[in-house]
Amino acid sequence: MEVAPPKGRSGGAAWGLWLARRLGLAVLTLWLVSVVVFLATAALGDPVRAILGRDYDSNVARRQQLEAQLGVGDSIVSRYVDWLGGLVRGDFGTSLANQLPVGTQISSTVANTLVLVLLSALVMIPLAFGIAMVSAHYRRKRPDTVIQTILLALAGVPEFVTGILLVAVFSTSVFNVLPAVTLVAPGASPWDEPKGMVLPVATLVVAVTPYVSRIVRATLLEVLDSDYVELARLKGIPEPVVMRKHALLNAIVPGIQVIALQLAWLAGGVVLVETLFSYPGVGKQLVDAVRNHDVPVVQALSMIIAGVYIVVNLVADLLSILLTPRARTAISS
Amino acid sequence: MNRNQRINLGPGFSRRQLLKYSGLGAAAVAGGSLLSACGGDGGGSGGGNGGGGPQGSGGQLIHGGTGGGAKDTLDPHQPVTAVDIARVSNLYEPLLFWNNNYELEPALAESVEPSADALTWTITMRQGVTFHNGQPVTADDAWKSIQRVADPDAPLSAGGQLSQIIDFSSTKVVDETTLQLVLNTPYAILDSLLAEYTLGIIPGGEFDPTNPIGTGAFKYESFQAGTTSTFGKYADYWGDAAFVDSLVIQDFSDDNAKVNALQAGQVQTIDNLPYNLIDTIKGTGGVLTAEGGQWVPFTMRVDQAPFDDVRVRQAMRLIVDRQAMIDQTLSGYGSLGNDMYAPLDPAYASDLPQREQDIDQAKSLLQQAGVDGLQVELFTGDDIGSVAVPAANLFAEQAKAAGVDVKVTKKNPFYDDDYLSYTFAQDFWNTRNYIPQAVVGTYPPKLGGTYNETHWDNADHRGLVDAAAQELDEAKRTDLLQQAQEIEYNEGGYIIWGFRQQVDGFGQNVQGLEPSKYLPLGNYKFNKVSVA
Repeated sequence: MEVAPPKGRSGGAAWGLWLARRLGLAVLTLWLVSVVVFLATAALGDPVRAILGRDYDSNVARRQQLEAQLGVGDSIVSRYVDWLGGLVRGDFGTSLANQLPVGTQISSTVANTLVLVLLSALVMIPLAFGIAMVSAHYRRKRPDTVIQTILLALAGVPEFVTGILLVAVFSTSVFNVLPAVTLVAPGASPWDEPKGMVLPVATLVVAVTPYVSRIVRATLLEVLDSDYVELARLKGIPEPVVMRKHALLNAIVPGIQVIALQLAWLAGGVVLVETLFSYPGVGKQLVDAVRNHDVPVVQALSMIIAGVYIVVNLVADLLSILLTPRARTAISS
Repeated sequence: MNRNQRINLGPGFSRRQLLKYSGLGAAAVAGGSLLSACGGDGGGSGGGNGGGGPQGSGGQLIHGGTGGGAKDTLDPHQPVTAVDIARVSNLYEPLLFWNNNYELEPALAESVEPSADALTWTITMRQGVTFHNGQPVTADDAWKSIQRVADPDAPLSAGGQLSQIIDFSSTKVVDETTLQLVLNTPYAILDSLLAEYTLGIIPGGEFDPTNPIGTGAFKYESFQAGTTSTFGKYADYWGDAAFVDSLVIQDFSDDNAKVNALQAGQVQTIDNLPYNLIDTIKGTGGVLTAEGGQWVPFTMRVDQAPFDDVRVRQAMRLIVDRQAMIDQTLSGYGSLGNDMYAPLDPAYASDLPQREQDIDQAKSLLQQAGVDGLQVELFTGDDIGSVAVPAANLFAEQAKAAGVDVKVTKKNPFYDDDYLSYTFAQDFWNTRNYIPQAVVGTYPPKLGGTYNETHWDNADHRGLVDAAAQELDEAKRTDLLQQAQEIEYNEGGYIIWGFRQQVDGFGQNVQGLEPSKYLPLGNYKFNKVSVA
C-alpha cells in the first residue's frame, strides 16, 4: 500500500504537530522515568556501605573517595540535577565498580543486545506472519489445529527452558554442531562468529513468535470472514491475492503493536537468555551492576532500556497510523 | 592476615564466590579415567590426569570461571574472585609456592632462611629469572612488592600480618639477589606468609593496569573486566614452559553456561563445579576432586548467655550430626570436622577423638547447666555462601532431638553492622594454617583478632600460640600448637562440622591436571596442562 502523504500545507502542519506532540510526550515520559529510576536507586540504601561491607569502618580512604564520587551529603535534589545534567550531555558518570566511564563500558553491551534483538526480529517477523497465513488459510482444519497446538505449547514454555533444550540438542547432549555459549575474543563482536548467534537468536524467536503469530492469525480470520473479502472472492480474485492484498494488510496493524511490545520486552528482559548463553548483553550487565551496587551503571542501563521502550512504541504507533487510512486522515484533516 | 580477602566476602557474595577461594585438603583424586564416548572436537584421547601418554605442545587453553564481573582485576595483590585468582596465578609468582600438597617449595626465592632468633630472615633470589619485559628479577623488586602489600596504612590482602611484624627501617636489600627481612618480633612461620598467591613479585613493586608484568608462565595480552582476558606463553619462563601457546580466561555469570561450554568443547577447564552438575559432565569430560579446607562454622559467643557456660557449648557441639551435614549441604563432598580448624596444618591435632552426635550427653550437659528447654536464635544469611542456610536449617532440625529450640533467622545482608556481635551465627573461612587463623579468629581485636566472632579471649591459649609463632623447632612448635588446639577442642566457641572438597571439571583432551589442596585445578598452574 502506498502511504498517501498528508495533503497540502495544513496536512503537513498537522503531521508536524502530531509528531511534535508525540515526541514531547516521549520526552516527558523519559523524564518521569528518570525521576523514578533516580529515586528507586537512591532508596536502595547506602551504596558505599553495601560496596565496602565489612571494610566500611577500616578502609576510610576508599569510603571517602566513594562518598565524594556519589555526592553523599549533598541534597537529593542537587544530586538529581547533577545526574540529569550529565545524562542530557551524554555523560553517564563513572562506574563505582572499576572507576571507568559508564558510557564506554555499556556501549558495546548495548550494541550487542540491540543486534541480538534486531536479528531475532528479522527472523521472527516473516516467520510469525508466514505461520499465521498458513494457519489462517487452513482455518479450523487439521493443519491449523496442529499449528495452534504447537504455538500454544511453545508460548507456555519459558524462554530459558527453550534455551536449555536447544543447547542440549545442538551443542552438548545430542549433536555437537553449534557453540553452547558465546565466546567473544577481545576487541571482537559476538556476531564475528555467526554460528554463535544461532542458538540465542533461535531461543528468542521461539519465545516470541507464538504470541505474534496468534494475534496475526486471529486478526486474519476476522478479516477473511468479513464481507469485503467475501466480495473480492466472488469477483473471482484468486485466493492468494485475496490473502495478500486484502486480508494481510488489514491484519498487519495489530501485528505491529504486538511486535513492538515483544521487541521492547526483549531489549530489557532477556537476562535469562543472555546468562544462559553467556552473551555479553545489557541484561547480564544490569544484573552484575545491581549485585555490585554500581549505581551509575544501573541508572544508565535503566534509562536506556526505558528509552528503547519509548522509541519502539513510538515507531509502532507511527507505523500503525500510516497503515490505517482512517487514522491517517483523522490527523491530516 | 588476608584481611581484604575476608572483607570481600561481604555483600554480593554469591554462592559461586563461596566456591572460589583456595581449595585444599588431603589428596583424594579425581575422575581420572576417561571415556571414549561422544566424539568431540580436538581429537582428544583419554587420560585427564596425565594418564594418556605424552603431553603435546601447542594450541589454546580456555578456562571458564564464575563469580567475576565489572570488578575484575589484574592486580597481583588484590584478587577477589575465582577468575581473578586464576589470572594472577598465571601472570605473577610469589617468592615461595604452596605445592599441591600444601607444603612450601622454592619459587622466585631459592631459599628463605631464618636467623636463630627468627627475627632476621635472609631471602636469596633465584638466579636468571626474568620478568615478561626481559628485566631480571632482583631482591629490590621483591622488597618493593612486599612493601606494597604490607603498607601499614593500607595493607592489601596478604599484608595484614606482615605489616605488623616487619621492621621497615632495618630491613635491607643486601645485593641483587639477597634481601634481609628484619622483624620487630620473632615469627617462625614468616615463609608461609610469603607463599600466598596474593604476594606476586612485580618490577619495582609497581602495578601498571595497562601493562601488567610478572614472572609467570604466561604473559599479559588483553583484559576485559567481566568477559575475557588473554595471555601468551612466556618462552623464557624459568620453570617448565607452558605446553599451550595461549591461555584465555573466560568469565561466566552462570554455572550452567560454564558447564555447557565445557560439554560443547568451547572451554577446556572449569573450576568450582556445582555438585548438582558433576554427573552432567562425567560423560564428556573429567572431574578433578581435591580435599579442601574451607569451613562454614557455627559461632557461639563465649561471653554471652547461654554460651558463656562451657557445658552449653559442648552440648551444642554434641548435637550436630556431622556426616548428615556433609551429606546434605555438601552433597557428600566434604570431610569431617572436629571443632578445630586448619586441617592442612602439619600440626593439626588429628589425635583428638572425633566428636560425634551424642544427644543423651548433650541433654545431660544442658540439664547440668540449668538450661533445659533452651531457646536460641541462630543468625544466617545467603551472603555467607550457599552452604550456610541449609546447614542452619539442618542444625535446627537436629537440635530438636535434644530439646533445644533453634530459631533460624535469615539476615540479608548478614555481613552488616551486627556481624561479630551475633550471639549465635555462622561464618565462612578459607583454610590457612593454625597460627594465622588463630590470631585473626580467636584473639581480641586489638591483638589482631579482626574477625573474632566468638569473642574468645583466653590468655593460656594465646600464650601457646604466641610461643609457637616464635619457635623455630618444628617438633616443639607442633607440641605447642596441639596444646592450643586441645583448649579449643574442649572449650572453644566454634562448631566446625566439616571441610569442603574442591571439585573442578576438564575436557576430554586435557592432560596434566593434578589435584591440589591449595587452589582449584592444581593451583591454576596452566603451564602444566596440555590440550593437544
